[in-house]
Amino acid sequence: MNGGKGMHCMKRDYDVVVVQRRVIAPQHVELIVESPDLASAQPGQFAHVLTPGMLRRPISFSRIDRAHGQVGLIVQSVGIGTEWLCNRQAGDRLNVLGPLGRGFSPPEAGQPWALVGGGVGIPPLYAALQAWQNTVHVPQVVVILGARAAAYLIMADDFGRLGVEVRTATDDGSAGQHGTVLSAVTEWMGVHREGQMMACGPTAMLQAVYQVTANWSGRTQLALEQRMGCGIGACLACVVATRSPGTHGSQYQRVCTEGPVFDREELVFS
Amino acid sequence: MNLGVNLPRGLVLKNPIVAASGTFGFGPEYSSYVDVDALGGIAVKGISPDPWPGNPPPRVWETPAGLLNSIGLQNPGVDAFIQEDIPFLNSVKTVVIANIIGHTVDEYRHVAQRLQREPRIDALEVNISCPNIKEGGMSFGSDPDQAFAVMHAVREVTDKPVMVKVSPNVAEPWVIAQSVVAAGADMVSAINTVIGMAIDLKARRPALGGVTGGLSGPALKPIAVRMVYEIARRVGVPVIGMGGIQSAEDVLEFLMAGAKAVMVGTITFQHPTRMVEIIRELPSVLQRYGFASLDEATGAALAGGVAL
Repeated sequence: MNGGKGMHCMKRDYDVVVVQRRVIAPQHVELIVESPDLASAQPGQFAHVLTPGMLRRPISFSRIDRAHGQVGLIVQSVGIGTEWLCNRQAGDRLNVLGPLGRGFSPPEAGQPWALVGGGVGIPPLYAALQAWQNTVHVPQVVVILGARAAAYLIMADDFGRLGVEVRTATDDGSAGQHGTVLSAVTEWMGVHREGQMMACGPTAMLQAVYQVTANWSGRTQLALEQRMGCGIGACLACVVATRSPGTHGSQYQRVCTEGPVFDREELVFS
Repeated sequence: MNLGVNLPRGLVLKNPIVAASGTFGFGPEYSSYVDVDALGGIAVKGISPDPWPGNPPPRVWETPAGLLNSIGLQNPGVDAFIQEDIPFLNSVKTVVIANIIGHTVDEYRHVAQRLQREPRIDALEVNISCPNIKEGGMSFGSDPDQAFAVMHAVREVTDKPVMVKVSPNVAEPWVIAQSVVAAGADMVSAINTVIGMAIDLKARRPALGGVTGGLSGPALKPIAVRMVYEIARRVGVPVIGMGGIQSAEDVLEFLMAGAKAVMVGTITFQHPTRMVEIIRELPSVLQRYGFASLDEATGAALAGGVAL
C-alpha cells in the first residue's frame, strides 16, 4: 500500500483505467475498469468515483472479475457527474476510492434465493449472483427485474446467460408483466415461505419490498442509495433511519459505512 | 520555509492548514486516507452536551461550484466523545480543536467545562453559526449580545485557546467578531456556511430533508475572503479563514486578506489528500508571490486599497 505510516495501513484515492465502454440502454453506460483493488470487492460494495462535480459518485459493481482484476460500473446519466462518467472511453482514467461499504452477506445454502432489482439498482445483484451462484448451493434462484420500459431492463440478458429464471416487469408493459416487480415478489414469497431475498433499486421499490416482506419469515437484504458526501464515514450525509442505535448519537446509520446493504429488520422505512 | 503558526495561549500549529469542523469526522475516519499528523490541526465535528440526532436525509445537494448540506450537527454528545473518540485522538500528533455547540448558553458552558479537563483538546472552536439547527447555533451568532454571552460563559470555565466561528448570514459579521473578542475570544474563525436552498424538480420539494442548508465549496470563497478581510482589519486577534479553499493559492488569498491560518473542508470529500498537497506546495507558492514567510503574507492585502 502507499506510504505505510506506523501501524496504519494507508489507503488512498487512486487511478484506474477504463478498458471497455458499452452503452447498455438509453443514458446507461457500463464501464469495465481494470483494478485488482476494486476487484477484491464484495458484491454490494461500491467505488466512490471522482467527477467534475463537487462530490464523488458512489457506483456499485455490476461485475467483479477477480481473476482478471476487472470490475464493471454501470452509470445512468442524470446530471453533470454521471453524464461525464458516461462519456468516458476505453483508455481514460477514473480516480476512485474503494471498494467501500458493507456489501451483501452471502446467501445461505439450502434456501431459495430471490434477487430483486429495479433500474440502475440491478447491477449489484448481478455481481452477487455471479459471485455465489456456483459457490453456495441453493435449491432455487429467481431474478425479478423491473424498469420503466423494456429498454431499461439492464443486464437482463446477462442474468439469462447465467441460466437462472428471470422475471421482468415494466411500468409501461413493454416487456414482462405490466406494472412493478411487486406482484412477482409477492407470488414468489407465497410459494417460498422461507428463503432469502436481496433487493436493490429506487427508494420507492425498496420501500415496497420492505413492506411486503414484513410478515415473511425469510431474510431480506436491501441495498440502499442515498445522496452521499465523503463516502468513508466522516461527513454523516448519507444516513438512513435504523432501529438499532446507530453511530454518532442517533438512530441514523451511514449508508457508506454501515451500508449500503442493510437487513430489512435494521431499517425504519416509512 | 518554516510554516509554523503561533497563536494565542501557546497554541502552535506546525502549518496553517487545519481540517474544518464537520468535514473530518472525529478523526479516525480519514486517518487511513490522509496522514493526519501532517496537518496543522483538525477540528472535529460539533459536540453538544447530549447526543443530537441530526436532520432527516437527504443531507447533501450539489450546486454549481458548491455543496449544500443539512447534517444538523449529528453527534454523540460530549461524554461519548470523551469516552469513544479521545482515545483515538490521543494517537494523533497534531493539534486537536473541539468544535462546541449548544441550544443555550449553559449548554455551551457545559461542553467547554467538560473539555477543559481533557488535555488532548488543544483548543475550542465555539460554533455560533451553524445554519442547520432550529434553536441555538446561528441564533447566537446573529446577535452581538447573545454571542458575547456564549463566549463569556465559555471563558469562565476554560483557559484553553478559544476561537469563535462566525456566521456570514448576518449583515455585519465583524460586529459579532468584535463582540466575542470583547468577551474573551482569543481568535475568530470565519466563515461558516452561507444559508441556502435548492429544489428537487422531480420530487417537487426542497432538495434537503432539513429544507434549507449551508453552502460550502468554491462558490463561497469570494464571500469568505471579503469577510475575513473585513474582520481582520477590525479585530486585534488572529483570524482563521475558511470557505472554498482548494489550493495553496487559495490559502495565500486568505492569508493576504488577514488570516493567520486556514481551515479546509469540502475539497477533502473529492480529494482526501488535498490538504497535505497544499501544505507541500505552500512554500513555493509563497515564494512565487514574493513572500519569505507566512507572517509576511498575513494581512499583506490589508494595507492595499482604500478601506471604505
